[in-house]
Amino acid sequence: MWRFMQAVRPVLAGLSRASLYLSGVGLLVMTAAVGWQVFARYVLNDTPSWSEPLSLHLMSWFIILGAAVGVRESVHLGLDFVRHGAPPAMQRAMDLVSLGLIVLFGIAMTYYSILLAAGTWSARIPVLGWPGGVDFIPMIVGGLLISLFAAERFIDTCLGAEIAADVVLQEAA
Amino acid sequence: MAYTILFGVFTALMLIGMPIAFCLGIASVATVMYLGIPAIVVFQQMNSGMNVFAMMAIPFFIFAGDLMVRGGIADRLIRFAAGIVGHLRGGLGQVNIVASTLFGGISGSAVADASAVGGLMIPQMAARGYDRGYAVNVTVNAAIIALMIPPSHNMILYSIAAGGNVSVADLFTAGILPGLLLAAALMVTAYIVARRRGYPSEPFPGFRKLGYFLLASLPGLLLIGIIFGGVRSGVFTATESSCIAVFYALLVAVLVYRELDWNGFIEAVLQAVRTTAMVLLVIGTAASFGWLMSFLQVQQVLVGIISAISDNPIVVLLMINVILLVLGTFMDMAPMVIICTPILLPVVKAFGIDPVHFGVVMILNAGIGLNTPPVGTVLFVGCAVGGISIREAMRTIWPFFGASIFVLMLVTYIPGLSLWLPALFR
Amino acid sequence: QEITLRSADIHPDGYPTVDAVKYMGELVSQRTNGRIKIEVQNNGTLGNEKDTIEQTRFGVIDMNRVNAAPFNNLIPETVVLGLPFLFRSTEHMHNTVDGPIGDEILAAFEPHGLIGLAYYDSGARSFYSKKPIEKLADLKGMKVRVQQSDLWIAMMEAFGANPTPMPMGEVYSSLETGVVDAAENNWPSYESARHFEIAKNYTLTQHSMNPEILVISKISWDKLSPDDQKVLKEAAKESVVKMRELWSAREKSSEEKVRAAGVNVITVDKAEFSDAMKPVYDKFITDPKMKDLLERIRATK
Ligand code: NA
Ligand code: NA
Repeated sequence: MWRFMQAVRPVLAGLSRASLYLSGVGLLVMTAAVGWQVFARYVLNDTPSWSEPLSLHLMSWFIILGAAVGVRESVHLGLDFVRHGAPPAMQRAMDLVSLGLIVLFGIAMTYYSILLAAGTWSARIPVLGWPGGVDFIPMIVGGLLISLFAAERFIDTCLGAEIAADVVLQEAA
Repeated sequence: MAYTILFGVFTALMLIGMPIAFCLGIASVATVMYLGIPAIVVFQQMNSGMNVFAMMAIPFFIFAGDLMVRGGIADRLIRFAAGIVGHLRGGLGQVNIVASTLFGGISGSAVADASAVGGLMIPQMAARGYDRGYAVNVTVNAAIIALMIPPSHNMILYSIAAGGNVSVADLFTAGILPGLLLAAALMVTAYIVARRRGYPSEPFPGFRKLGYFLLASLPGLLLIGIIFGGVRSGVFTATESSCIAVFYALLVAVLVYRELDWNGFIEAVLQAVRTTAMVLLVIGTAASFGWLMSFLQVQQVLVGIISAISDNPIVVLLMINVILLVLGTFMDMAPMVIICTPILLPVVKAFGIDPVHFGVVMILNAGIGLNTPPVGTVLFVGCAVGGISIREAMRTIWPFFGASIFVLMLVTYIPGLSLWLPALFR
Repeated sequence: QEITLRSADIHPDGYPTVDAVKYMGELVSQRTNGRIKIEVQNNGTLGNEKDTIEQTRFGVIDMNRVNAAPFNNLIPETVVLGLPFLFRSTEHMHNTVDGPIGDEILAAFEPHGLIGLAYYDSGARSFYSKKPIEKLADLKGMKVRVQQSDLWIAMMEAFGANPTPMPMGEVYSSLETGVVDAAENNWPSYESARHFEIAKNYTLTQHSMNPEILVISKISWDKLSPDDQKVLKEAAKESVVKMRELWSAREKSSEEKVRAAGVNVITVDKAEFSDAMKPVYDKFITDPKMKDLLERIRATK
């Protein structure tokens, strides 16, 4: 198991890095789109109707990818009072429950988002003209990444090799 | 029973240290499974919760704040603040508060404020013999000012949650006086505490130097005018103004101060993504949680309880403040504004309270909640920056809490504090 | 056994659509001896219209009262109802939706997991603006807020305006500060959203009479016995009569309130506006089925 983790670690690290950069690109394109919206309305007197739905779609991507990275880097805000006060064995049990449930939640997110995407595929997103189900693709991908990264930490915790730090609050700058 | 599952699972998961976004999501799934309705709705609402146009103001203002810190805008503001109030007793504490007020004028995020101002001020204060607890407490309480002084993306969220009939321009204007009042109250508190503990003051730099500091920080200060004037005069919407803030901060950092290089820019982007993803994911799952609260009609139950207790507006407002303060201990700002506004606004409206006034009360209240554990984002950030534990910070935070609550009471019971300026501008 | 049907609505208490569904609930409850109840959850607490449509389709909630517009992207037949200047009068609209054409469009809901129960009124939408709109040329280049919908964007373009899609929530402050110059809606919304306080010119173009639609989830529908289904269908039809009374009263009171506030109400030559709409029809009425539907609506008395 330990060896297996060593082997997949670089893959997961790369995946997380790629997600982070992709969501960064999403933020920048979003900034450009909204900036263009203001510019076009005043200078060209022609408000682009695509900028709002496109920015919204990009926002979904960057939230969900960024959040998945957050799971791996353990930067999500939480309450660690009780956990910190507990004995180490208890702490480990809490972490396992917490990470295990996150794995399940991620899987549920993917599963139900697939159902949502399938059920809304025949509708159309106004202006962009994409199938309605496209709205849920970020959640499908994000759910998978979240459960993948949570599973990595779950196994690490099982093996007693918690690599990711405790909640890194500087990250919340 | 459904109530017990929704709130019980949420609390239990929070206590074992699970990230709050997942506590909300998993509690929602558990409740939906108990009720026997398709779990699909949890994820639909999560997706819709992350898909609100006005919500874009959050990443933009946080991104802009990040660029301001890295691009040298924030430290020039702090230097200017040091010039004005550094010579007062406990000078660096006063500087911290004034800097927060100035920074609050260009950023809407208390978290950005706490990390920007705290990151620069807390180490300096510690080096000059201030207790770290004091430095952190001044920082985190002053950070709330950023929410009150425009721009404030939380005011935008309130306007949206209120059903859109509340003018964002009015809300922005309404926050100014209460924000300044909070700054004044905190400065007095910081002064009294500093006197008791015998903290030093800084030398006055002289007016010539002060003028130079002002000039150097002018491009940053100008953003206050651009955002406030731009929204007030309708050049752009409040949501768009946050995007303009990004462009402006980038412009100043790269072309005027020339302090932001390519690597700094990339770091700012990635940092903004990390921070906002975290906040917005909470908003997403809070939407599912809120949907279930609506489905179970928690708000009606609450309104019933409130009106059964009293029909006196003074008592009702007091109760609502207490409810918000209690909720604020374990809820983050954005979900609280999003969930509580539609519940409570109809109640206070029935007692003749202006929605703009209530918006200011709501934001200040939720702001105070940012410093109360178990969920106190700003307090967490302050403690992390200051390198102390939350328990340590809590030991000496009480005078500052007292000052914030005092201002909250003034703002609650004197509507003119919020409503006078907007009426003047109209 | 007892059944409680949960019905969503975005409007506040006392709004005609809300009261109409409540009235339908009373009828159903009476006729089933309290066995079936309808519980209206209004104020948009269950989500926006797009969300609640999905929830109804997936069986999360049972019933939903929504404008026809949010169905456009799912059920193409509903697009016809929103076409500009389609209905000559309220009476024409009533005759259309009450007759076979109305039933035909409701039938198109079933493959999408919805059973259409009834059409409710939504009045006629007209422009309101800060600068008065007295003729078509006044709209030229104006920034007009529209719903996020292809049909509406195309309509504003055909009017020569600059369509600015924006959520309802941002309209008040955007009008106030001039981010948009105009918006359009019926009397009650113009009044209840308080937009009349800032956009003080209401131009009676009455360009669209898109009705409201009441639907029930197919999942909930199939669980009901044929007798109960019949009770529901009849009660829905009867609530329409009640709704139309409530609506015209509400429309009148909103209009009075707005006029009393000193709003400048402008009558225009509607032909000039409707003549500009040809590109909209060309763009949206393409296949023969839609053409046929349109012709039959036009032929309706
Ligand atoms: Na601010
Ligand atoms: Na708190």
